[in-house]
Amino acid sequence: MSETRQINVSKSQVPKLAIIALGIIFAAGLFVVGFDQGHIFSLVYGEQAFTDMYLHELTHDMRHAAGFPCH
Amino acid sequence: MKTSLFIIIVLLSGAFAGLIHGTVNFAIVEPYLDQAIGIENQNLFASGEEEDTTEFWVEYEGYRTWQKSGQILAGMILGISVGALFGIVFALSRNALPGNNDVKKSLILSGIMWLTLYIIPFLKYPANPPTVGDGETVVLRAILYLSFIAISGFGAVGFYQLSKKLKDNKKIIALVGYGVFISAVFIAMPENPDELTAPMDLVNEFRFMSVLGVTSFWASIGIILGLFWRKLSSQKETTHYN
Repeated sequence: MSETRQINVSKSQVPKLAIIALGIIFAAGLFVVGFDQGHIFSLVYGEQAFTDMYLHELTHDMRHAAGFPCH
Repeated sequence: MKTSLFIIIVLLSGAFAGLIHGTVNFAIVEPYLDQAIGIENQNLFASGEEEDTTEFWVEYEGYRTWQKSGQILAGMILGISVGALFGIVFALSRNALPGNNDVKKSLILSGIMWLTLYIIPFLKYPANPPTVGDGETVVLRAILYLSFIAISGFGAVGFYQLSKKLKDNKKIIALVGYGVFISAVFIAMPENPDELTAPMDLVNEFRFMSVLGVTSFWASIGIILGLFWRKLSSQKETTHYN
């Protein structure tokens, strides 16, 4: 006679790799939307990026709407 | 759950919740932003800093369209970012959260994070529409705002750790402790240095809509990640006994 049993196994251990990856995504995304004033593009375009502020303008409306300081 | 699957559902949840946040903002916050920027333009003309010319309006329409089109994209980037933090905290605290299923647990955590990381800091440093912020103080305001969020968040974690060491009937002490701690920080932190020059009706209505938008994000991330987790977390193994 054969019998089938289903066992549910829940693992609660959180992999460190996942925490590190998500931590980096959190910090990078928060900087882009909340605080960049041309810093990221300045790595490629130099000082001009601080004048153009493409990312700042792209995230401008969300920055205000989500409560981040802006001007 | 596999590491890759965990990361994928966290990022997807954040992206969906961010999409909802951006869409809600597009519908209810944008009219106030337009109104505030209209006042900002009039101030520029009045001060002589800009002239009311066709060239000005062509340039204005160009960057304003770019700003508006970014609302939903920025919502998704912010959603993925904050969703990543939410995923980390949920994974670490899931077993300790109250609730008999993952959706309830996830919603309870999103409610706690909404309160400690958004509402309490918002009461100290509320959102402002364009025309209010002074460019000279933006770095100081960013430091103050981030610091308050970090203090509130780490304070909540600290008092939670303390509550684990207390017996059941004394856990309320940790909650009261957080309340006293964050009230003291609230009073001690410097005020926003900028003067409010925009009409208060506009500022207050903008703030109300802003709260609705951010609240839509926290409610969405709680529901969506909870549903994904419930669907995918149990590793079902079928064993045959002969």
